[in-house]
Amino acid sequence: MLHLRELQQRFGAALFDGDDAVTTDIIGDRGIAPRERLAVYRNNLREGFRKTLALEFPVIERLVGEAYFRRLALDFLSAHPSRCGDLHHIGAPFADFLECRFGASEYAYLCDVARLEWAREQALVAADATPLVVTQLRSIAQDDYAALCFSPHPSCSLVHSRFPIVRIWESNQPGAPEQLIDLASGPVCALIHRRRGAVELETLDAASFAWLRALLGGATLGAAVDVALSGGSEFDLSAALARMISRGIFVAFTVPLIPRTLRRTGNTHERPPSPYATACGTRPAA
Amino acid sequence: METRPIRPICAPQPIPVKTGIGLRAKHHAQILRERPAAAWFEAHSENYFAAGGVLPGILERIAEDYPLSLHGVGLSIGTTDPLDLEHLAKLKRLIERCQPALVSEHLCWGAIGGRFTNDLLPLPHTEEALRHMIGRVRDVQDFLGLQILIENVSSYVEYSASTMTEWDFLAALAKASGCGVLLDINNIYVSAMNHAFDARVFIDAMPRHAVREMHLAGHSVDRHRDREIRIDTHSTQVCDDVWSLYRYAVRRLPGIPTLIEWDTDIPALDVLMAEAAKADAIQESQHVASA
Repeated sequence: MLHLRELQQRFGAALFDGDDAVTTDIIGDRGIAPRERLAVYRNNLREGFRKTLALEFPVIERLVGEAYFRRLALDFLSAHPSRCGDLHHIGAPFADFLECRFGASEYAYLCDVARLEWAREQALVAADATPLVVTQLRSIAQDDYAALCFSPHPSCSLVHSRFPIVRIWESNQPGAPEQLIDLASGPVCALIHRRRGAVELETLDAASFAWLRALLGGATLGAAVDVALSGGSEFDLSAALARMISRGIFVAFTVPLIPRTLRRTGNTHERPPSPYATACGTRPAA
Repeated sequence: METRPIRPICAPQPIPVKTGIGLRAKHHAQILRERPAAAWFEAHSENYFAAGGVLPGILERIAEDYPLSLHGVGLSIGTTDPLDLEHLAKLKRLIERCQPALVSEHLCWGAIGGRFTNDLLPLPHTEEALRHMIGRVRDVQDFLGLQILIENVSSYVEYSASTMTEWDFLAALAKASGCGVLLDINNIYVSAMNHAFDARVFIDAMPRHAVREMHLAGHSVDRHRDREIRIDTHSTQVCDDVWSLYRYAVRRLPGIPTLIEWDTDIPALDVLMAEAAKADAIQESQHVASA
């Protein structure tokens, strides 16, 4: 007797791998060939997958056209089938999949547009967290600023591209006027996050982007400033920090626990000035 | 096999013996704004699994104003892969947040070898599959700490391996696991047409105390040369034959809450309310007839 597991494995192989032969003896005929019966399920699988992918990447679908997107979705399904019961997760490897296919071609911008769309999707459903407010930083001692670390809001992500992906994204929104975009008019540094339930998208200058990327990666404020300045362009820490806090990008910070006198401070003259602790605040209890 | 005691859900608002409507994102804003006179709503659990953002909050607000049922479409309870505990943990968290009056899943599998079809694939009706499902339903009920309902699915294949009917399988599952039955009248009709059995026999076989909810939906017809396959698309109004079968089901199983499902080409809320009113009228006429 055919066991349940083997039946499911053979049925699965027929649906995912197109291996129809394995099912003809496990599916009854009764007027309609097993192959045609199976086709109903295969169509459900492919259409459900394609529709979900199109909902997650509407700009990619618009850029490549419905017919080609259908082919892309089929190939993507073969390479990266759904791995969980919640279909919403299927888009996670799509940008990398496009990178493999188009990374070296004139359509390389598609990969970064997909990254932007996925970042927006993720921002919509990321966990809630209460953003940091400026007053919470006022108690930090001037000398402690360089060693501060910040925790980002869970919805927050950064996408860098050598192509003008934000303009491409904006001009492919429903109702947006048609426009010609010069692909050489990049690069762009995009910040994506959720504020009051809605996803926000803004572009940053290169230095602010480098600084924020370092901070989101766990660097101290001092190290992040070094990264920002390493590009040779100007960077205004006070303005950048104020801007990010006003956007609700950070939800917590950690104050260094090591006593100041024992810390290896490096070039103290390069340490950023405290943007808020104009008067020397008291250090919070560790 | 011994049936373990299962806690019935103590929801703040039980599901009334009225016809509810499947909750879809398209209608969220209208429902929150206008508070339409729907009897109750049923949400697809997975649509509200998000860790944060607006969706879980919307469901909580709707659950404050209406009786709510959570209907799972992605658990793949009948797979021979291990049960997805992460999925179940998300479901449990959603149940705690929204306090639904009913929680349901399908008599199906959907994933194998870690690949998910995200579809409702039928099980073979064998003793082995029955034992497997009984174990799975018990595991899920133990994990969630409550009774779940199991719904019959539409099917387009019959397995040569099956040794019993779908209705005997479902009735035996309910008896042995203590789960309730969500009887989908459209699915019975679709499968009956596809596999040439008498739909009324399915309904007759249902243990009356186990059936706690019914579903109604529209389906479509695919032609294959001279034969038809009915496809459960939830894309249209309930057809006349299914209304007739529903009348039969209501006579046989009176006083069961019903739900209108519509998932593709979703119409205005008014259209769904009109379908629900039709089902209510059938329930009421049966009530009068039996009084």
